[in-house]
Amino acid sequence: MTQGFYGVLLLLFLFAPPVRDFLESIMILHMHMQMPMIIIAGFLIGDYLIKKFPNFFSKWNENGIPGAVLLVFVTLYWMIPKTMDDALISYTWEVFKFISLAFLVGVPLRDSWKRLSDRVKDIVIIIFVFSFILMGALYIFSEQQLCNNYLQVEQLTLGWGFITMGICGIIYLIQEWFIDSSKYE
Amino acid sequence: MIMKNRQTLISLSIVVVLLSSIYYIGTDGFTAYTAETSRTNQLVNSQPEFPEVVLEDSLNREYNFSQFEGQYVFITFFYSACSTVCIQLEENMGEVYEALPEEFLGEDVTFLSISFDPERDTPEVLNSYQQYFGSDGETWRMARINDDQELNNLLDTFEVVVIPTDDGHFTHNSAFYVVNPDGHLTAVLDYQDIDSAVDYLLEELED
Repeated sequence: MTQGFYGVLLLLFLFAPPVRDFLESIMILHMHMQMPMIIIAGFLIGDYLIKKFPNFFSKWNENGIPGAVLLVFVTLYWMIPKTMDDALISYTWEVFKFISLAFLVGVPLRDSWKRLSDRVKDIVIIIFVFSFILMGALYIFSEQQLCNNYLQVEQLTLGWGFITMGICGIIYLIQEWFIDSSKYE
Repeated sequence: MIMKNRQTLISLSIVVVLLSSIYYIGTDGFTAYTAETSRTNQLVNSQPEFPEVVLEDSLNREYNFSQFEGQYVFITFFYSACSTVCIQLEENMGEVYEALPEEFLGEDVTFLSISFDPERDTPEVLNSYQQYFGSDGETWRMARINDDQELNNLLDTFEVVVIPTDDGHFTHNSAFYVVNPDGHLTAVLDYQDIDSAVDYLLEELED
């Protein structure tokens, strides 16, 4: 209950116009700060929802795959340049961004992650690493301005942000390959 | 991956349908991945009319846009202090200009580079700027629009986004705009794809 409460609080905080305006005024904050925090809020709310409706989740998301597909593709959706512009221009898309990242990414992340096998978890991480590098390259090397609401310089910053996250993901995968974490559990 | 029970399969199907719908709606039916493409598609479909503006060109002439009635006008938007995209844009425009048979120029089509920085792009500046690109000032004109309201109205109508930056420059979208003999916008073309632009013009002109 407490976690869920803090989740709702965080979500409302992020949705408050001054906070929203600030985070969305800078491209990299929009994508790599606001969006992950909405997901975290959803993750916290998930604690409440999963405890409240355990049957729903274990029945419809037994092996975690449907949730994983959902969370991967909704996250990828919000990496498309057009969707960021949409969220800035239209209130409907903005609300949808908050709802989808919280409830279609954060909540299923919480439920699916413990159900997924290690192999599928690695696949999910690899998909993200791959798309981070790809999006990074896109935002860095694109000669066009991809988002009408952000300058090209910001696009470059975001690109490098993506590459950095991709590298972090790779480091995680490498350490996982070499270190047997079960020894430390 | 084996689905152990029917429910998982059903929920996976629902997820796939849901995701496809979101992507379909969000990308205008998988046709646009940037807001720019999306806008351009819609813009060309609506074929807006070129608004009334008074142009002042590099030869100090002032005239209404309507004087181009009856011919195609091939347009770009630029500012001469720009050190990056505009140069590329105007160079590419020059290549399209060179590629067209001379008989069409000034008769069936006029090239027009419009500056959105009228303060700095005086006729003198435009005159020296056009030398770099082989514009003759007649069949390829460079002009500014002195009336702010007229300029903004035009930029809005053609959805040219111009954002001033802190250091006196502008961030702006770039494209080739084609206005038909009736004064309506009929195409917004990729300025980096010279061949397609030439093909498009030839097809229209030979009709």
